[in-house]
Amino acid sequence: MAAVGRLAGGARLSRPRWRTGLLLALPAIVIFAALFVAPLFTLVANSFRTQTGAFTLGNYARFLGDPFYRDVLWNTLKVAALTTAGCLLVGYPFALYMRARSPRVRNRLALLLLSPLLISMVIRAYGWLVVLGPNGPVASAFQALGLTPPQLLYNDTAVLIGMVHVMLAYMVLPLMGSLDRIDPTLVPAAKGLGASGWTCFWRITLPLSAPGMLAGAMIVFSLTASSFVTPAILGGPKVKLMPYFVYTQATTTLDWPYAAAIGFVLVVVTTGLLLGYSRLLRRGNGEVVFG
Amino acid sequence: MTTMTDAPASTEVRRGRLRLSGVRKVLGGKEVVSAVDLETEPGEFLTLLGPSGCGKTTTLNMIAGHLAADGGLIEVDGRDITTVPPHRRSMGMVFQSYALFPHLTIADNVAFGLRMRKVGAAERRRRVADMLELVGLDGMAGRHPRQLSGGQQQRAALARALVIQPDLLLLDEPFSNLDAQLRVRLRDEVAALQRRIGTTAILVTHDQEEALAVSDRIAVMAGGVIHQLDRPQEIYLRPATDFVAQFIGEVNALDGTALGGGACEIAGRTVAATPAGEPPAKGAAVRVYVRPEVVRVGHDGDGLRGTVRETRFLGSRIRCVVATPAGEVTAALPYDAAVPQEGEEVTCTWRPSDASLAARA
Amino acid sequence: MTRLTRLLGAAFATLVGLFLIAPVAVTVASSLTATSYVTFPPQGLTLRWYGEVLAKPEFLSSFALSAGVALAAAALSAVVGLAGGLAIHRHRFPGRAALEAVLSSAFAVPTIVLGIGLLQWFAQMGLASSPFTLLLAHLVLTVPYAVRLVLAGLSGLDRSAEKAAAGLGAPPFLVFWHVTLPAVRGALIGGAFFAFITSFDDLTVALFVVTTDLQTLPVRIFNYMQYDYDPTVTAIGTLMVLFAVIAVVVIERFVGVAKLFGADTQERS
Repeated sequence: MAAVGRLAGGARLSRPRWRTGLLLALPAIVIFAALFVAPLFTLVANSFRTQTGAFTLGNYARFLGDPFYRDVLWNTLKVAALTTAGCLLVGYPFALYMRARSPRVRNRLALLLLSPLLISMVIRAYGWLVVLGPNGPVASAFQALGLTPPQLLYNDTAVLIGMVHVMLAYMVLPLMGSLDRIDPTLVPAAKGLGASGWTCFWRITLPLSAPGMLAGAMIVFSLTASSFVTPAILGGPKVKLMPYFVYTQATTTLDWPYAAAIGFVLVVVTTGLLLGYSRLLRRGNGEVVFG
Repeated sequence: MTTMTDAPASTEVRRGRLRLSGVRKVLGGKEVVSAVDLETEPGEFLTLLGPSGCGKTTTLNMIAGHLAADGGLIEVDGRDITTVPPHRRSMGMVFQSYALFPHLTIADNVAFGLRMRKVGAAERRRRVADMLELVGLDGMAGRHPRQLSGGQQQRAALARALVIQPDLLLLDEPFSNLDAQLRVRLRDEVAALQRRIGTTAILVTHDQEEALAVSDRIAVMAGGVIHQLDRPQEIYLRPATDFVAQFIGEVNALDGTALGGGACEIAGRTVAATPAGEPPAKGAAVRVYVRPEVVRVGHDGDGLRGTVRETRFLGSRIRCVVATPAGEVTAALPYDAAVPQEGEEVTCTWRPSDASLAARA
Repeated sequence: MTRLTRLLGAAFATLVGLFLIAPVAVTVASSLTATSYVTFPPQGLTLRWYGEVLAKPEFLSSFALSAGVALAAAALSAVVGLAGGLAIHRHRFPGRAALEAVLSSAFAVPTIVLGIGLLQWFAQMGLASSPFTLLLAHLVLTVPYAVRLVLAGLSGLDRSAEKAAAGLGAPPFLVFWHVTLPAVRGALIGGAFFAFITSFDDLTVALFVVTTDLQTLPVRIFNYMQYDYDPTVTAIGTLMVLFAVIAVVVIERFVGVAKLFGADTQERS
């Protein structure tokens, strides 16, 4: 209220005093200083400490030196990359399909894409547990065909399916943004010059939608690398991913400094990617779909 | 649709004398309005005309109270309102974007000011209905702004501004979002309605034709100062400064030397014009401004001699360019004028009262 | 487009659609099974598992905790988001750029990292876990969205409308009430509902902040799943899906789900 107070205070509209702004922003500033900035600083600080509090680089040395954890890092990147590829494979044709629909249908499809994000992560993952489980529809389908159902749970495949399911929207929406920005007269123009439908796709649509693909890929990759719930439920301890080890180190092994170090490496991997991406964006003019 | 001009005459008491004295405004370290003096008659239609960035909108916002003056005095009917917040002034403002409240119906938009004034429901309904009828929007009361055309939104914004019987009606480029035909029709309707109701109106525009068509007086602004404040005919025929001459319409600007009074010597010939302000001293460098419409091309009289370089038929006028020793003189001749041949030797003349003369910088 | 490609397109889209709704549909369907293990298609038809949920007090208390925290998170995010959005949109103040940077980086920091950061920070501060600390933690997840929606709402508001209201005699508070607030009303409602489901569904942060006697519903389900494989979870899941559907309908009605995630699905001209 005080914000507008100025508006009518006559004069003051052109010279807002900063005090009102600060007052309005204060709750947000306090919350984020105390519950976002401070915890992250604590985390970074702790990652350079031993369990007894002395300064050390040992946590990072341990993470990078231990072949087991190097494997965890590698597997995290692999699963994230595969999920990104999966989203692109499913998402690109879907975005093309969406683009050809009326605005109304597009809106419905977008809602469908986004709905997994709004359903409880636990329940969603549990649903996949049922779908892919021994009594689920996939297994029944195999049995009906007289085949032995493959092991679909607690492995990379299960995590991959679950992750593509959640992340698809993050790939399709930026893609749509890019596709919509393509001048609709380009393809007819190319066809007029003798290009076939396929040529048009390869030479015009695909290259011009590259910014959207890149945006989607960055977001999907970094979100997948840092997600915990879906891999924990569908993959379990057998699928070695960094977020899971952050969790077990913090709650089971109770090695907080080490958990902090793994967490910080995770931040560097994911946030670094996103920061690089937004820097890229500021140079071109895409749109930030995430963050 | 009833047009606004069908409205019954108002018996409103004439008030709304606005006075600005030495009003200044500094924005971002730059003085955008410098010592503006201005006084309106009650019921007058006054236009602030100028290019973008000339300070006209800033001036209007200071009158409305949305911006504080950094110096000077703003008075309405002798009351100092310089530091009064906008909601305690009584100004009906119409914005370029119309600024209708998108979540309210047209009737509720118009009723807003009456609600703020705690006008009773029955009277409020009556006044809203009357005003909507006045602007030709009866039947649109229940619609939302987005369901109306640009012209209708404009009328609704006008109704909202007028229903509170404001001291002043402030119009901030109200027609610039409309297409050309509608713009002309609406501006004439607004001018007619304003005359009927008798509310003093201040219009801000960059459109010189619009300003000439609707205003009782025009203040031509540039660089934060008023260059000339006068009736439209004066502004057009006898511009006081080079800026006014060039900004409004086409003009022949001829350089010469003052001979005292309104006379001056241009390229060896003696011509006459009306001095803008004090007549320049004899021998001073002056410039004469002559509109093409007032130039006559013939063979008699005192005037500039020259050769016809081209003539063009333009429909409403015949354009004739004469090369003279003082430069080209363009004349816009009526359709039935005797059109000289290209290459013909002619004399360009005008009535001294139809041209102005000012000292040259 | 030929008939064949159109047919292929439709078939593909249907498959993607099936893929998207599969886990939820299967969960809802198998909550009705009469068997004591989870199976799809369900065998028999019973509401027994819903009864089981209601008969388990620990689920009910977890539900109460989650719902309470989520309601508070919704209300507080709306208020904090509105104030913060107004401040960022209209004012210059020390720390504005930093606040904006922090709010946008909050989208990018992995939730698990925030969770473990909060765990260690709370421990260092000697803060015992309580519904209150959980609420504060959830605000970090929800406020950035609320601010984003409020900013979108404010940018759609013509500032002239506020001037017009003031000129018509509305004092500052009434200008805010009649003009500014209606412009962000959708953002506030949508943001509040989104905050509700975000908080209600959160597992990652809650896992770090809660204790064994203070378990939110997702934490309770997560722990229960590790040991039991009976259809109780599918029944709870169905109830939670119902919650989410209501929230989605409301959000879609007031702001559009796509806008929440910063995307615009409408065709650009």
